[in-house]
Amino acid sequence: MDYKLRKAEPKDVSDILRLVKELAKYEEMEHQVTLTEKELLEDGFGDTPFYHCVIAETQGESSRDDPRVVGFAMYYFTYDPWVGKQLYLEEFYVMDECRGLGIGSEILRHLSDLAMKTRCTGMMFVVAENNEPSLQFYKRRGAEDLSQEEGWRLFRFDKDSLVKMATPAEE
Amino acid sequence: MNFKIRAASKEDCKDISRMIMELAVYEKMPDQVKISHEELQRDGFCQNPFFQCLVAEVPEEQKSKEGFTVVGYALYFYTYSTWKGPTVFLEDLYVMPEFRGKGIGKGLLSKVAEVAKKKQCVRLQLSVLDWNTPSRDFYAAKGAQDLTVTEGWHFIRFDGQNLDNLANEAPKD
Repeated sequence: MDYKLRKAEPKDVSDILRLVKELAKYEEMEHQVTLTEKELLEDGFGDTPFYHCVIAETQGESSRDDPRVVGFAMYYFTYDPWVGKQLYLEEFYVMDECRGLGIGSEILRHLSDLAMKTRCTGMMFVVAENNEPSLQFYKRRGAEDLSQEEGWRLFRFDKDSLVKMATPAEE
Repeated sequence: MNFKIRAASKEDCKDISRMIMELAVYEKMPDQVKISHEELQRDGFCQNPFFQCLVAEVPEEQKSKEGFTVVGYALYFYTYSTWKGPTVFLEDLYVMPEFRGKGIGKGLLSKVAEVAKKKQCVRLQLSVLDWNTPSRDFYAAKGAQDLTVTEGWHFIRFDGQNLDNLANEAPKD
């Protein structure tokens, strides 16, 4: 299967959302996706993009077939005050039927290359501890599990807690 | 105690750098700090900054034993959730030990939450070390959930030689 990697364009948002939902389903949290195509478009292709996206596209069986978007990676730049810029990999997914062809490896290689070129000292992301295939994929390539090795835990405040904290209390 | 919370300026980078090191010492990883106030200045005060910073300042009469008036900071940046949209990630929150218990930490956290709200962010995320009970309790009291416990998320990183190797080859599965 021939495929190519390219930068996402505004026209890709519906494919991106489709793949986001497929990945959420794999992670057993599909009902948590409330983002719409409109928000993806504004947030990724507006004046200040919140994210960047690379797409894996196959050519199709014959030249008459439309190309198909079969994988993607969404990332942005974060900052570690100890070592500087980091590339944060937010989403990374290849459709089930297209696995085992090297597409995932190629996306990861492309992102690592991009990280080095943009002066990032590391590439970071989260993985659910029950996701053995993904954990092994990354560990084989030299990734460290910081939650296991250093004890970092991920915390979140949701909208309600955020609103409560933002309103100044009577001190 | 009088204190004020304001956006950091370029000139605050030396103080911020000092406190980054103090926080790293507390987290038992001081040898991992590799950048200085110069890189912070370059990365935080350029045209498209990679982070935002708030500082807590006390008046001259209440300065620290060593003479510092900038006594706390919060360093954060914007991230993206494909499920919910724009998010704030609070990378560092620190108040010097002699200024704790006076509401400065809460003040910094509230200010970050306020910024998040203004930017239409739907979440505030951060990471805490598992042994750091005072911090875990501080955030839990304000309504944070420990996602590593409730959903099993682990932080993963590629850096140094491993990142380099990854960039240079496409290994077979």
